[in-house]
Amino acid sequence: MAEAPFAVLGLYPTAQALTDAVPKLKLAGFDGLEAYTPYPIHRLDEVLGLKKTPLGFLVLGMGLVGTASALGLEWFADAVDYPFIVGGKALFSWQAFVPVMFEVTVLFATFTAGLAMLFVLNKLPFFGHPVLASKSIAAITCDRFALSIERGEGGEKPIDVAAARRALEATGAESVEVVGDPAAADTTGAYAPFTPRDAVKAALMIAVACAVAGAGMYAAVKVVLTVPPITHIQNQPKLNAQRASTFFADGSGMRLPVAGTVARGHLPYPFKSPEEAEAALANPLPRTAAVLEKGRREYADHCGVCHGSIGNGEPSLSSAYGGKPANLVSATFRGYSDARLYHVITVGKNAMPSYAADLAEDERWAVVHYLRALQRSQNARDEDVR
Amino acid sequence: MSATGSAGKLLGAAALVGLCGAAATYLVETPTRFWTNYLIWFLFLLTVGLGTLFMVALEYLVGSVWSVPVRRVPERLASFTLVAGPLALFGLLSLKVIYPWTQAGAAANPVLAGKAVWLNVPFFAARVVLCLCLWAASYWLLVGGSFKQDQTRDPAITVRSKRFAPFFMAIFAYSVTVVAFDWISSLEPEWYSDIFGVYLFAGSFIAGLAASVLALFYLVGKGRLREVRSDHYYNLGGLLFGFTIFWSYIGFAQYMLIWYANMPEEVSWYRLRVQGDWAPVALILAAVHFVIPFFALVSSRAKNDPTRLKRVAVLALFAHLLDLYWMVYPTLGRGPMPGWPELSFALLFLGGGLLWARQSMGHGADLPVGDPFLKQGLEFRL
Repeated sequence: MAEAPFAVLGLYPTAQALTDAVPKLKLAGFDGLEAYTPYPIHRLDEVLGLKKTPLGFLVLGMGLVGTASALGLEWFADAVDYPFIVGGKALFSWQAFVPVMFEVTVLFATFTAGLAMLFVLNKLPFFGHPVLASKSIAAITCDRFALSIERGEGGEKPIDVAAARRALEATGAESVEVVGDPAAADTTGAYAPFTPRDAVKAALMIAVACAVAGAGMYAAVKVVLTVPPITHIQNQPKLNAQRASTFFADGSGMRLPVAGTVARGHLPYPFKSPEEAEAALANPLPRTAAVLEKGRREYADHCGVCHGSIGNGEPSLSSAYGGKPANLVSATFRGYSDARLYHVITVGKNAMPSYAADLAEDERWAVVHYLRALQRSQNARDEDVR
Repeated sequence: MSATGSAGKLLGAAALVGLCGAAATYLVETPTRFWTNYLIWFLFLLTVGLGTLFMVALEYLVGSVWSVPVRRVPERLASFTLVAGPLALFGLLSLKVIYPWTQAGAAANPVLAGKAVWLNVPFFAARVVLCLCLWAASYWLLVGGSFKQDQTRDPAITVRSKRFAPFFMAIFAYSVTVVAFDWISSLEPEWYSDIFGVYLFAGSFIAGLAASVLALFYLVGKGRLREVRSDHYYNLGGLLFGFTIFWSYIGFAQYMLIWYANMPEEVSWYRLRVQGDWAPVALILAAVHFVIPFFALVSSRAKNDPTRLKRVAVLALFAHLLDLYWMVYPTLGRGPMPGWPELSFALLFLGGGLLWARQSMGHGADLPVGDPFLKQGLEFRL
C-alpha cells in the first residue's frame, strides 16, 4: 500500500490556511494538487489553477436552445400545422408565446445545469474514490479542509511520500495521511468501492423488480377483471337501445310508436318543395323584441357558426373547413319569402342538413324574423341611420 | 484640481444654456411641450433619488453587511429626493396644462367624473406634499442618521435605522405607486393598470443602482474608496442584472395581459406606444432595457468587471430615461424625434444633476466610519 499511494493528504484547520498553503506547495514543485472541503470556497479554483468551468456556457446555450424550441413548436403548432384563430389574435402571436418560451428556457437551463454538472463535469456515474475510504473523510465532511498531493489520472508520476508529508506539515497541515491505491486497498478489505460490477448488479435487480411489478399489473388488469364475480357488473339482464333483445317478439330492444299516431307538437312536415310551403305557410309570430331576441339566440347557437354572426357567410371557422356557406344577407336571400326560409331550415339545402330536430317550429319562425333584421342591418337605407 | 474645476464650469455652462432653451420652449413653443419635458426630467431625478434611498433602506431591512462600505454612495445620491421637493412643487403648475382631468370638459366625461374623487387639484397637491414629507423624514432618519454616526460612532443609530427600514418599505411602496398613478398614469386618466406602480419601482431601483455604480467608479477613479473590492462590485452587478430581468418581467406582464384581453379602455395606452411612430422606440427600449444589459451581465466575470459595469450603468440610466420618455412623451401628440427643446432640457437637467451629484460626493466620509458593520463589510469575500 505504501509503495503506490494514491495521494498524500493534509488536513488544515481553516479555509484560509488551505488557500494560503496552495501557492507554497506549488512553489515547492508539487503539482496535481486537489482540495476537499466541507463547503465550496470561492476563488479556490483560481488559486489551484483549475480550468474555468464551461457550465455557464452550456447553461446559456441550452437556455437559448429552449427559447428557440418553444418558439418553433408554438409557431409550427399554431401557425402551420393547426391554424386556428383564438380570441381574434393572429396565428403567429409572439406575445402569447413568450410565457411558454420563458418556461422552456428555464427548464432547459436548469436541467442542463444539474445534469451537465453531475454527469459531464462531476463524472457520474462515479464508482468510488480513494479519498472516500480515507480516515480523514469524516473530518473533511465536518470541519476540516484537506489538500492532497495526488498521483494524477494516469499514475505515471509516483509521489515522494516523505517530501510531500514534510511540505504539507510545513504549510500548516494539522495531520497528514497517506491514501492508498484503491486496487491495493481492495485486497486488505479496508474499503469496498462501488465497482462497475456492483452497478450492473443493481441495474439487473431494478430490471427484475420492474418486470415483476409489470407482470403483476398486467395480471390484475387483464386477468382478474375478466373473471366472475367482477364481470357480473357488466353482464346484467336489461334492455339496451340499439341492441337485440329476446324480451319482445320482434327481437328488438327499442319500441316503435303505435301505428297511425304522432307525438304532440310534432306533426310530420308535409311539403316536398319550397313552392308548396310558400303556398300554404305564413310566419305566425309577431315581430316583437322577445321574438327577435329568441331568434338571435337560436341563430347564434345553430346558424352563426357557418353563416357568420352577421349572416354574410364568412364566419371565423370557414377557412378551417373549406366550405362556402350561403351569404344570407345577399339579394338572393333577401328575395326569399319567410315560408321559403322556413322550408330550408326544416328540410336543409345542399350541404346544410335539416334543423327540424334542433329547432322547434316557433324557434324556426323566430330565426326567420331575426334573419330579416340581419338583412336589413347589412343593407341599411339612409333613413335607417337618421 | 483645475481639471475638475473646468469640468464643473462646463456642466454649469451646459445647465445655463439648457435653462435658456427651456425658457424659450415655454415662450416660443407651447407650454404643454415645456411641462411634458419638465415632467420627464423631474421624474428622472426623483426616481434616481428614490432608487438610491431604497438601496440604503434595503441594506438595513435585510441586514446585509457587504453593502456597508459602498453605502455612502447611494446615501449621497439619495439627496435627489430632496432636490425633487421644489421640483415637484413647481411641477404642480403643470396640472392645469397637461393633465386632461383638469380641463374644462372633464366633468362631462363619465369616466373622469367617477375618478374626480381622487383626481382633483387640491387632493393631488396634498398627496404630493405628503410624499415629500415622508421622503424628507425617511432621508433624515436613514441618511442623516448615517452621516451623524460618522462623528458619534453611536451604534444606536444603526439600530434605529434597522427598526425604521420596514416602515420605510411601506412608505416607499405607497409613494412610488402614487407617483406612478398621479404624475404618469393620470396623463391618460381613462387608462389604468394595477401593476404600474411596480413597473416604476423596477425602473427606479435600476436607475438608483446604475447611478450608484457610476458614482462609485467616479470615486474609485479619483483614488477614493480603494477599500471597496471586486467582491462588492460583483454584488452590485448581480443586483443590476437581476433587476434588469425584474423590470422586463413586470413590463412584459403588463403588456401581455392588456394585449390578450384587448379591452378598448386598456389597449389605448399601448396603441399609442407600440404602433406607428413610437414602435421603433418600444423596440429600442426592449433592447437597451433588457436584451443588451442581460447579455452584457449574464457571465459571472462581467459582474465585477469595472469597465463592463460602467458601460451597462450608463446604458441602464439611458434606458430608464427612455422608458420615462416613452411613457410620458406620446401624450403630447408628437412623434418620438427630439428637437431643440428636448435637448435644452437634457442639458439643463443633466448639467444640474451632475453638478449636484458631484458636490454631494464630498458630503461626509467616503466610508460610513461609524457603522458597526463596516469592518465585516470590508472583509466581505464572495
